Amino acid sequence: MAALDLRQRQRYARHLSLAEIGEAGQERLLRSRVLIVGVGALGSPAALYLAAAGVGTIGLADHDRVRLSNLQRQVIHSIDGLNQPKVQVAAQALRRLNPELTVEAIEATVDERNALDLLARFDVVVDGTDSFRARYLLSDAAYLLGKPLVHGSIFRVEGQVTVFKPGHGCYRCLYPEPPPPGAIETSEDVGIFAALPGIIGTIEAAETIKLVTGAGDALVNRVLLHDSLAMTFREIRYERNRACPICGDRPTVHALIDYGAFVGVAP
Amino acid sequence: MRHHRQRILDEVGPAGQQRLTSASIAIVGVGGLGAPAALYLAAAGMGRIGLIDDQRVDLSNLNRQVLYSQSDIGLLKVDAAVRRLRAIDPAIRLEARRENVQPSNVAEVMNAYDVVIDGTDAFETKFLLNDAAVLLGKPLVHGAVLQWGGQVLTVLPGWPCLRCLFRDPPEPEVVQTCEEAGIIGAATGVIGSVQAEEAIKLVLGVGTPLSGRIFQHDGLRGATRITEFRRDPDCPVCSAHATINDLSRYVDQVSARGHVLV
Repeated sequence: MAALDLRQRQRYARHLSLAEIGEAGQERLLRSRVLIVGVGALGSPAALYLAAAGVGTIGLADHDRVRLSNLQRQVIHSIDGLNQPKVQVAAQALRRLNPELTVEAIEATVDERNALDLLARFDVVVDGTDSFRARYLLSDAAYLLGKPLVHGSIFRVEGQVTVFKPGHGCYRCLYPEPPPPGAIETSEDVGIFAALPGIIGTIEAAETIKLVTGAGDALVNRVLLHDSLAMTFREIRYERNRACPICGDRPTVHALIDYGAFVGVAP
Repeated sequence: MRHHRQRILDEVGPAGQQRLTSASIAIVGVGGLGAPAALYLAAAGMGRIGLIDDQRVDLSNLNRQVLYSQSDIGLLKVDAAVRRLRAIDPAIRLEARRENVQPSNVAEVMNAYDVVIDGTDAFETKFLLNDAAVLLGKPLVHGAVLQWGGQVLTVLPGWPCLRCLFRDPPEPEVVQTCEEAGIIGAATGVIGSVQAEEAIKLVLGVGTPLSGRIFQHDGLRGATRITEFRRDPDCPVCSAHATINDLSRYVDQVSARGHVLV
């Protein structure tokens, strides 16, 4: 096993002092491969803190370009990146922060055609997306591949985080049915309280670091809910749903489906 | 356009956005906590941000201080921070102050801003900021981190202060610094983002601040706790018989380590 060099010892000095990480944990981080799907409000802090922690290979997947209205919360981006692909702008920011990492910029929409091939190349998947379609897709794909998925989502002034570990429940166990079409506003119409995604996205990064290093207790079978206005945190426990169509006792879903049709949005 | 996604919130709206643009925040210590706080306050459109720090960027900062890049090593943190924040929103007035808060300058620094965020890492400075906030009647968002977690509480005039909960800083021999004990970047990210959220709520006058409550986060266990606490009727700084009562005589009333002398 390659030992850390002198510069790495300096860069990660604060991790080497932590009993739960230490040298072995840092080497595990440096060898790990994490995919962040969606480099927006949640993906920004998640990517920054995972790069700072020394996750060796970070995949960034997003089809969008940086818009001025993103800069209110997507702190990895800046005005020099306006109109450029988010993954390119974010990849540059991560390389500036930590040049020793490999950053893969994947300028694509993750969909039912490419999800399995893409997720298969990584150890942990971080959900930074903002649609029900993508959440069900990532959950199913991660389950089918046996990969842990760190889920985070935000809505107005509230957010939530949990970890879906195969065999311990999935997004469908938490939300068996998507909301009825039209019941939810499209994301551009949903306000987001500044700094809220910082909290949720950073907890997603912390959970990823714990999954890679084996440190502590991951948020498995627990959803952490945060209300930024009331400033409260609540934990809700959940179990794998034995009737879940994908991870239950008698699964009926064995491959990815058409998630646009499933959640009732036009393709 | 830039702030569309928060302007459409009832809690913000055009009037709230105007309030943010007119407001000023001091971030004392632009390290692990100050980095996310500064990023989110700049993103939200805070009108004026004061960055107070006398240190330079070091390689060992980069596991958590995501405001900086490898090419910033050796630069003053406040200068590197100004450059990064300007790239997010050039309209924000950024004030780089290359100094540490001390009894001699704390009133001048704090009086120049509406809300103060504690991003420092020394106990005596945290207690100095608390004492000054009480004596000056200035809202202070306290934060502290170690290893995988940390805490936030907000000190508002008339509400309990840090010394109501912790009379004195712990003895130096019983506490470990971040250097000795270690720190994970994401812990600073959670605590610093909560501090930014608190500051934004104070400026907007919305929601319930962490006054009379302390938020404690244990990232390793994925556990959070919010505990209510009351004013200590014998608090050395915020009670009727306070012995810390004059910032100009602070060094006579509080030791260099932040302990109450009288």
